[in-house]
Amino acid sequence: MSAVIATSKLSKWYGNVLGLSDVTISIEPGITGLLGPNGAGKSTFFNLLTGQLKPSIGSLTIFGEPVRNNSRAFRRIGLCPEQDAFYEELSGWEFLTNLLRLQGYGPSEVAAKAEKALGIVELLADKGRVVRSYSHGMRQRLKFAQAIAHDPQVVILDEPLNGLDPLGKRKLIRLIKDFGREGRTVLVSSHVLPEIEALTADIVLLHHGKILAVGGIQNIRDLIDTHPHIIAVRSSAPRALAAHFVGEEYVLNVHFENSRDSVLFETTNRDRFFERLTRYAAEPAAAVEEVTSPDDNLQAVFDYLVGT
Amino acid sequence: MPIAERGYIHWDGELLERRRPWLPITRQGIRLAFKRKYFKFSFFVSLVPAFGFLVGIYAAEKIQDFKLKIEGVSTILQVNPGFFRAYFAGDFLLFMMLMLMVLSGAGLIADELRHNALQLYFARPLTKKDYFMGKAAILVFFLSLVTVVPGLVFIICKLIFSGSFRFLADYPWIGLSVIGFSALVTAFFSFYTLMISSVSKNRRYTAILLFTIYIFSDVLFGIFYASFRNPYFALLSIKANLQQVGAAFFNVKAPYAVSWIYSLAVLLTLCAVSAFILHKRVKGVEVIK
Repeated sequence: MSAVIATSKLSKWYGNVLGLSDVTISIEPGITGLLGPNGAGKSTFFNLLTGQLKPSIGSLTIFGEPVRNNSRAFRRIGLCPEQDAFYEELSGWEFLTNLLRLQGYGPSEVAAKAEKALGIVELLADKGRVVRSYSHGMRQRLKFAQAIAHDPQVVILDEPLNGLDPLGKRKLIRLIKDFGREGRTVLVSSHVLPEIEALTADIVLLHHGKILAVGGIQNIRDLIDTHPHIIAVRSSAPRALAAHFVGEEYVLNVHFENSRDSVLFETTNRDRFFERLTRYAAEPAAAVEEVTSPDDNLQAVFDYLVGT
Repeated sequence: MPIAERGYIHWDGELLERRRPWLPITRQGIRLAFKRKYFKFSFFVSLVPAFGFLVGIYAAEKIQDFKLKIEGVSTILQVNPGFFRAYFAGDFLLFMMLMLMVLSGAGLIADELRHNALQLYFARPLTKKDYFMGKAAILVFFLSLVTVVPGLVFIICKLIFSGSFRFLADYPWIGLSVIGFSALVTAFFSFYTLMISSVSKNRRYTAILLFTIYIFSDVLFGIFYASFRNPYFALLSIKANLQQVGAAFFNVKAPYAVSWIYSLAVLLTLCAVSAFILHKRVKGVEVIK
């Protein structure tokens, strides 16, 4: 299968600041996750992909054509930017139809495509409301609608799940997956690993403007599993909780937090730890109130990969 | 990346080619302007001089019919190049054009910057040139309705009311002057308005700036002229420069003793500077260095 998006030694500097460095990559149809902490270069990469920035060095093609100043390429791309980009005083319908007109469709086609896109994102009932009155989730879905309304082959979604509640996330994840299943090329960025995990198994890891890793998400999970995890458990009986685990060989460290009734466990086997914790929490005297994983995020993986 | 087999469904979207990609921007801008009640009021007020001058043309031709014997009225109502200059380069019309720009143009780019909308525009088959054309066409539309359209209507009405082509025989160039000066005024105000609109995300700020620069340039000229009595200070004033060039276009005496070429150079320089600022300010992505 040939690459839809291909970059070669793609680099971008903002003055002395490095935005993206030496990125050579091929992206095929389906969903690809672009992962990286804030400032990793994800948005720069997307801005280069959509022709809004000129590469300092290197080349970039979509369907074999350069993107910048190429209106033919833009007809096949849909962009959902990270930031809100709405005219608050327009209705969702007006916002979408105005953007569709820029694609060159006639009035009847504009109406049909807007209707279809709003239907997909379940906003038809609210199409007449001004964007100002939309909830955050509705705004995200409207942004997604404008990215897919003109039926693009390549969809670029910059942090589309940011700030959504769990239900909103689930809805949008389903929409993105549906779109990917249709054989289109969907590129999704996020700094939250589980979000990407819910969408795709193919990821590109960016860090400090460079590609850190490319591959299946399982590889990344493996990295997490071979690296000690920190799990915080809050309980009204923290010492009893600690005593319960201290004898386990997969628990490397136990640390009491003074300010809260929390115990920090460092473990090499998260699955076994949780299995044991679940059984313990079911006991009447356990009093487990909250379980969090402070390092179960992308930053921790990056820290591990870059050796910090 | 490991290659995984995926089903590929052929894309059935259309690759459309358009000749006027800027047109939707213009249509939307005109529609939005007429949604504002202050703009509607200003627009109709700015048409008042045109109706006044039209009545003047009629009265000038029919003055004998009305048997008007008011002292001096026949000299005031002479439809000649001076009449056209009085309309096109008159203080009131220039001021109303400025008001139209303030009310319809101040937010044209400022609003896009505020709403981060530029990246959505430029992620579509739309070049920067198309974008500027779309925005400028909004201003050209409104300005044409108070410049070139009334100007040509005046000529036609003059011919109809007089019942002869003598006016055109006397001044065969008047149509070109109307079109030429209208084009210059329209181009200048369009560049000036778009440039100011691009310097801030705040529509109110750009509106104040549009108004203040125009008025302040004239006040500055007044102060310097009063102090030094040097007519070259007229080059500081946007209004005076437009009036100087207007006088040259209609072949009448310029209000200030300065060559109109200098005034034209000032206006064209302002247009060039505006174009440069616009080019720098309008980007799909704001890059903070």
